[in-house]
Amino acid sequence: MSEIISQAALRALVGEWIAEGKCLSGPVRVKPNLVLYDELRSSDDLVLEGFVRPANSIKESIFPKQEKLYGYKLRGNSIELIDGDAAQREQVVIAARPCDAAALPILDHVFNWDFRDEFYNRRRAATAVITLACSHHDENCFCTSVGLNPSSECGSDALLLELGNGSYEVRCITDRGRALFGGKLEKSDQVGKADSGPEKKFDAQAIRAFVTQHFEDPFWKEHALTCMGCGTCAFTCPTCHCFDIVDAGPAAGNARFRTWDSCQFSTFTAHASGHNPRAAQPSRQRQRVLHKFAIYPEKFGEILCTGCGNCTRNCPVGLGVLNVATEISHG
Amino acid sequence: MSGANGFEPKIVAYVCNWCTYLGADLAGTTRLEYPSNVRIIRLPCTGRIDFNLIVKAFEIGADAVLVSGCHPGDCHYSAGNYHARRRWILFRELLDTLGFDLRRIHFTWISAAEGRKWQEVVTEITEKTRQLGPYTNLYAAGNFKNSPANAAAAVEFKTLAAENELREYCRKLLSEGAVKVVIGYGARGPVIVTRPEDADRLVWNNQCVSNLAAYLKRKEVKTLGRPAIVVKPCDEKSLVVLEKESQIERKGIHVIGMACEGVGEPKCTFCAARTPRFADKSFGEPAGPAPQPSPAPNRFAALMEMAPADRMAYWTKQFDRCVKCYACRQVCPMCYCERCIVDKNRPIVIDPAPSTKGVFAWQIARAFHLAARCVGCGECSRACPAGIDLALLNICLHKAAQEHFGFDAGVDPNAEPVIGSYTLQDKEDFIR
Repeated sequence: MSEIISQAALRALVGEWIAEGKCLSGPVRVKPNLVLYDELRSSDDLVLEGFVRPANSIKESIFPKQEKLYGYKLRGNSIELIDGDAAQREQVVIAARPCDAAALPILDHVFNWDFRDEFYNRRRAATAVITLACSHHDENCFCTSVGLNPSSECGSDALLLELGNGSYEVRCITDRGRALFGGKLEKSDQVGKADSGPEKKFDAQAIRAFVTQHFEDPFWKEHALTCMGCGTCAFTCPTCHCFDIVDAGPAAGNARFRTWDSCQFSTFTAHASGHNPRAAQPSRQRQRVLHKFAIYPEKFGEILCTGCGNCTRNCPVGLGVLNVATEISHG
Repeated sequence: MSGANGFEPKIVAYVCNWCTYLGADLAGTTRLEYPSNVRIIRLPCTGRIDFNLIVKAFEIGADAVLVSGCHPGDCHYSAGNYHARRRWILFRELLDTLGFDLRRIHFTWISAAEGRKWQEVVTEITEKTRQLGPYTNLYAAGNFKNSPANAAAAVEFKTLAAENELREYCRKLLSEGAVKVVIGYGARGPVIVTRPEDADRLVWNNQCVSNLAAYLKRKEVKTLGRPAIVVKPCDEKSLVVLEKESQIERKGIHVIGMACEGVGEPKCTFCAARTPRFADKSFGEPAGPAPQPSPAPNRFAALMEMAPADRMAYWTKQFDRCVKCYACRQVCPMCYCERCIVDKNRPIVIDPAPSTKGVFAWQIARAFHLAARCVGCGECSRACPAGIDLALLNICLHKAAQEHFGFDAGVDPNAEPVIGSYTLQDKEDFIR
């Protein structure tokens, strides 16, 4: 037996959640050829078909591009601190892709390792993730190469699978997922289907072996020559999580913010002295791959990549994890 | 003094130390009364006014801004006000495109002897602003909705005839040692070829979109030795500007020009260039009739048809998606500063957070640094992962430079750059 919901009922439910005051986000078509995860102001904004995956990631709901850590007031010689953002609203991310949802358990490690990051955890605790299994993949998808697949349940509270007749099978994975759909599902004997997924494109263990053994290698210099040094790969990646802390002065309301940062920026490792241990782009490209396939797994056991392909899809010059991994595995 | 609803406008005046400031002083010493709504900020010269200051004044609550300096011919530094005037002409167009309310931005010439003019100007601006009311729609997204219409038709992939010839030519250049490296297009994007046997990685088709001139600024590429670079006629213009700005030595680069049949929107909207003009070696003949730049209503015309408040809403909504990955800067051949203004943090000039203010400040700085330098290759729009049509801002300044100064960046290698020069005849119908 399975449980199903029609698309109309699903949209109505999304509308109900919005009306209840929950903060909803999901795929929105912002331009003819661009779908992004964005806040849903109404259930009509939600796009469920006709795209492979949004060009950004759901990490924005939990690790936003800018987050106020605290404000401050200056009074003579004393400083008064004011708490950061207001109380966290309950959030629901709907129609996330499995490769987005799977990133959250991976990110949990790093935000709860030697320091419990209260901002991340507060948002994480307030967020339910409803995943929509993929019905298509494109040439940049490679979830199967990093141990996932188009209907992975990892990181999801509920998983939707298309039935092909405008309805979805709903698999409630956690209690939170069940509570969200409570009473809205119909019993059925139909079973949803997902895409078979991209063929396996490389062996992640082989990539790990290569990057740990070839720290100094002409490969990096050659591979990274066309990299322009922007942060597109990191900022659209579901798992990249580096951040910077900046002080916004009086004009911005006296506050300290956390903003995203990228290891591809030349200033990322620049020292105050002017010295830069990663002086050129090859070492920065190497860092990104090394972090994903060796450093992170060594520390936390999991690869810092879910195979979504966003870095390759969005890269203005056609690089990204998939290409470097393919180059490595083809020798 | 206060209006019917108690609204008292706040007006920020950026004034030149040598004339307007003294003019205001004179108004005071001669006991001329004028509204106290104006907050004077003294600067050494109007030529020294950073344009983000005008924007910043609005951000911190100004309802109007006044910029005032010496009359033409009177500049303490000979020509500061002429340079300022030229920049104001362009900057007003940028602000207009972004949807700022131009009725709230005033420019005047007031000399040290014109206490009375200061009195009149301030009184009049205060009254006018009082009628306009508080500036509430700065960065207001209103009810703007994304309209997912108008999809550009995708260009059907087509390998072009010159591909093989190009490969052979590059192989020869490399094997003979004429160049050390070829910057060209590969199957997935740009490739940089250093070995003759790799020349087969080069491709030439109608999806060779990148402007490869951006690689000429990269340290990693510069160290490889004398380059050959594959350029389309639109990209070739960047080389003209880079040479004019002493960023490249034309003799040190082997330019391979490709006749172009267009790579599709949005890159070709305003481009009619078909054949390379300055290349050391050219390939291909453009097939078919010469392309026309997209006729109005193209995307820029459509933007300018909106009311200013709607344009502001449009940009606020677009910039909301900006994550500050700086792809727009990195792929731009003209953005070659060793240290970009947004990377400077002692002090922080532009709010580094991707907040509304931070993104407006960054995009204004980016667009204006490219004023009359941008060749319109459209890479910024193409590279943006958030799909923000950033090139519209550059197009606005490009058109302004054409209209006001007859200048087309990258077309005439001998033309004098717009920014950094001036003429006594520059228009000043907007200056009181």
